[in-house]
Amino acid sequence: MRTAGFVAYRIAGMLVVLLAIAAITYAIFYLLPTNPAQLSCGKPCTPENLARVERFMGYDLPWYQQFWDFLRGIVAGRTYGSGAGAVTCATPCFGYSFQLNTTVTDLIVSRFPVTASIAVGAAAVWLVVGVGSGVASALTRGSAIDRGIMTIAIAGVSAPSYLVGLLAILFFSFTLHLLPSGGYVAFGDDPLQWLGHLALPWFTLAFISGAVYARLTRGQMLEVMGEDYIRTARAKGLTERRVVVRHGLRNALIPVVTIFGLDLGGLLGGAVITEKVFSMQGLGALLIDAVHTLDLQVVVGFTLFAAFLIVLANFAVDLVYGLVDPRVKARV
Amino acid sequence: MKNLTRAGIIAIAATLLITGCSSTTGAAGTAVTNKGGTLTILTPSTKIDLDPAKSQNLAITTLGLIERRLTTWDIRAGRPATVVPDLATTTGTPSDGGKTWTFTLKDGLKFADGSAITSADIKYGVERSFSDELSGGLSYHKSLLVGGADYHGPYSGSALASIETPSPKSIVFHLTGAYGDWPWIASMPAFSPVPQAKDNPATYGQDPVASGPYKVASNKQGTALTLTRNTYWSAKSDTVRVAGPDSVVFRMSQDPSTAAQSLISDAGDTKAAFGAAFLGAAQLAQVNRDPAAKARLATSQAGPLSYLALNTQRGALKNLDVRKALEYAVDKKAYLIASGGAAAGETATTLITPGIAGRQAYDLYPAGADGDVKKAKSLLAKAGQSSGLSLTLLVLNDATSLAKAQAIQQGVQRAGITVTIAPEDENSFYSDATATDANYDLALYSWQPDFPSANSNIQPLFASSEIGDGRNNVARYSNPEVDALIAMATAEVDQKAAQALWAKADKRIMQDAPVVPLSYAKQSFLRGSKVKNFFVASFPAYPNYLTLSLAK
Repeated sequence: MRTAGFVAYRIAGMLVVLLAIAAITYAIFYLLPTNPAQLSCGKPCTPENLARVERFMGYDLPWYQQFWDFLRGIVAGRTYGSGAGAVTCATPCFGYSFQLNTTVTDLIVSRFPVTASIAVGAAAVWLVVGVGSGVASALTRGSAIDRGIMTIAIAGVSAPSYLVGLLAILFFSFTLHLLPSGGYVAFGDDPLQWLGHLALPWFTLAFISGAVYARLTRGQMLEVMGEDYIRTARAKGLTERRVVVRHGLRNALIPVVTIFGLDLGGLLGGAVITEKVFSMQGLGALLIDAVHTLDLQVVVGFTLFAAFLIVLANFAVDLVYGLVDPRVKARV
Repeated sequence: MKNLTRAGIIAIAATLLITGCSSTTGAAGTAVTNKGGTLTILTPSTKIDLDPAKSQNLAITTLGLIERRLTTWDIRAGRPATVVPDLATTTGTPSDGGKTWTFTLKDGLKFADGSAITSADIKYGVERSFSDELSGGLSYHKSLLVGGADYHGPYSGSALASIETPSPKSIVFHLTGAYGDWPWIASMPAFSPVPQAKDNPATYGQDPVASGPYKVASNKQGTALTLTRNTYWSAKSDTVRVAGPDSVVFRMSQDPSTAAQSLISDAGDTKAAFGAAFLGAAQLAQVNRDPAAKARLATSQAGPLSYLALNTQRGALKNLDVRKALEYAVDKKAYLIASGGAAAGETATTLITPGIAGRQAYDLYPAGADGDVKKAKSLLAKAGQSSGLSLTLLVLNDATSLAKAQAIQQGVQRAGITVTIAPEDENSFYSDATATDANYDLALYSWQPDFPSANSNIQPLFASSEIGDGRNNVARYSNPEVDALIAMATAEVDQKAAQALWAKADKRIMQDAPVVPLSYAKQSFLRGSKVKNFFVASFPAYPNYLTLSLAK
């Protein structure tokens, strides 16, 4: 019962956050001194043509009415124009992109597999490599292995993703001709090609994020391994492996889980730079294009989706805490 | 450019001698054409909408491969662009003093589904471009056709009475006034045939019914568009398309730097590829350091105009002598260096650009390569502005534009004119430059005409009707004498006579010095080693997709 109440409370909070984000995004775009309809006006853009486009898109209405129509569309759907050429956006309608001729929902659904492929794969790589090297580094503190891992980690933390991505393309694509320089092939079309196209983005993201996890895990492990209960566990005659994994790593992972949840949630909302560098049409690339072309409906719909992922990730992290740390479960 | 084309022809001829493979003479007569292979086009575009009503495509690029129009452009290296018949037998027959234009379709024209192309399909294609849901395309015809202002397309069941189809092979357009450049207007995407039975405005742009040499095989937005041969297209009826490759693949969402790097390395399938985006200054420098890549570079002849617009309705700039002083004070050499040097353009002195038929070269304000400061100062003194003239310069907020603006700023500073640079992001810049209420003295602007006629160089930029409201008379120039000249040239149906009138308007406008012509821009594109007959003319400063073929 306590858990059900906790979940209901969190869901209500999530809805309030999402509504506030949608309102703020709408207001920001409305305040911009530019007119999105002008980009769909044609050439030459006569005042008559502009008025037609504004009317059709609903941009001739005040911003609060546009916002209300947007919210109503989520629960009741929307129709733009009339007659045989009318554009229908079915429930739940998160807006319609007149520049891409499709609903925002369809855009997100079609782009999400690309971003998810990048994010989940990269997250798996950086989690395994980052945590593994962090543990190895902590257990061999002061050794050449420790210094080597931490040197690489500093390079990873310091390097911007576009630089790592471009260097990876230069080396693996243009010099060794081992991997494609960009693009995306769906897993269903060709699993090997899917893997080949994703290898460099995964490596790039994992190199950067894995470095943070390695440093964090190392620090946590060093702290935890010095605790009294570790000494007690050893005194009880447990094997070193059991001491490290069950008693050391499990406790050291708590802050790692927090960051991992937020990182993965953020990345699922679009790996903007990585997608651009590797010419992949995921959610990040969609957002950048929408901002450049003032595609308001896409920006608002996408922002809501990305915010939803972050909020959801936070919620998931809270639940996972219970699994990792029994003390948390007792408090929920 | 000529040498590059010639080299391509020699290479193909040599290959033919060795392999003994079949070939045909290109329909456009520009080169020997190999048949076969897959041509790949690397484009940064994340979407390719093939709906003719929504398109601003040039006649010689993507849509030109799939959709034919009533007329089209014959673009060849080293020659001004000309308008030629495409689906029609002629470029149109004027009557009623140029207010009515009649076209007759060629025999045996078919869509990719085997059905006949009729004049009703052209009429429907033009009508649907008036629909509110299909906005965004080239729309010159909308204000020229009688009744166009109040027409909202065929989806509500109404037709546009000013387009008549007396027979399946003839179509007649009734205009609100005489318009000599209607043959150019009929070359725009909206004049492609669209069969009404196959039209769904929400999806037509994904897979239109082809009338050109290629049809859509697959169209995955953001990833790739693949075209294959339309077997119902007849080379005999087409004088501009050679249809060399068996298939054409547009690889979308390509990062320009990565695409350029792929083309420089010329490995794998990039040998049969070219970049749709022109090279930036950094990529150009990289190509110029690599002799093998440099040999595969095509640079346009000097083309689109970049200019400094002087707001003729504001403060001291209302005075002709002040504007003339700016003509002399600007350092065009420094401007060109800031633009990227000789590879990026040539110094401009006229409004009609090279490559446009009827252009007459002249220079009303000869000032040497870097300006005539002495002359500028004397004109300022004559205008009573010897010191203290201070002007704002509206400019795009990117590194190249800012460097150009600084070149202008430093140039006019020599004559005692202080310029404050006001950078703005792209959307704000164009909104402010074309707004009804102007808040700038100077603006750094450029113009690529939508069709290769002097009309498109002059009317949108200098007619009084084009001031504010999103229109492009950024100098806010208004002269009844010039308006009358523009009206006369617009109505003239004789091309030679019209060209003479446009050339006269060009000089007359420059006598009032509303703009300082700065440069005719050049654009460079890179191809793979197997792409043949790859050239970029003066106008448009983009490769002609219709005449390409691949080496065996």
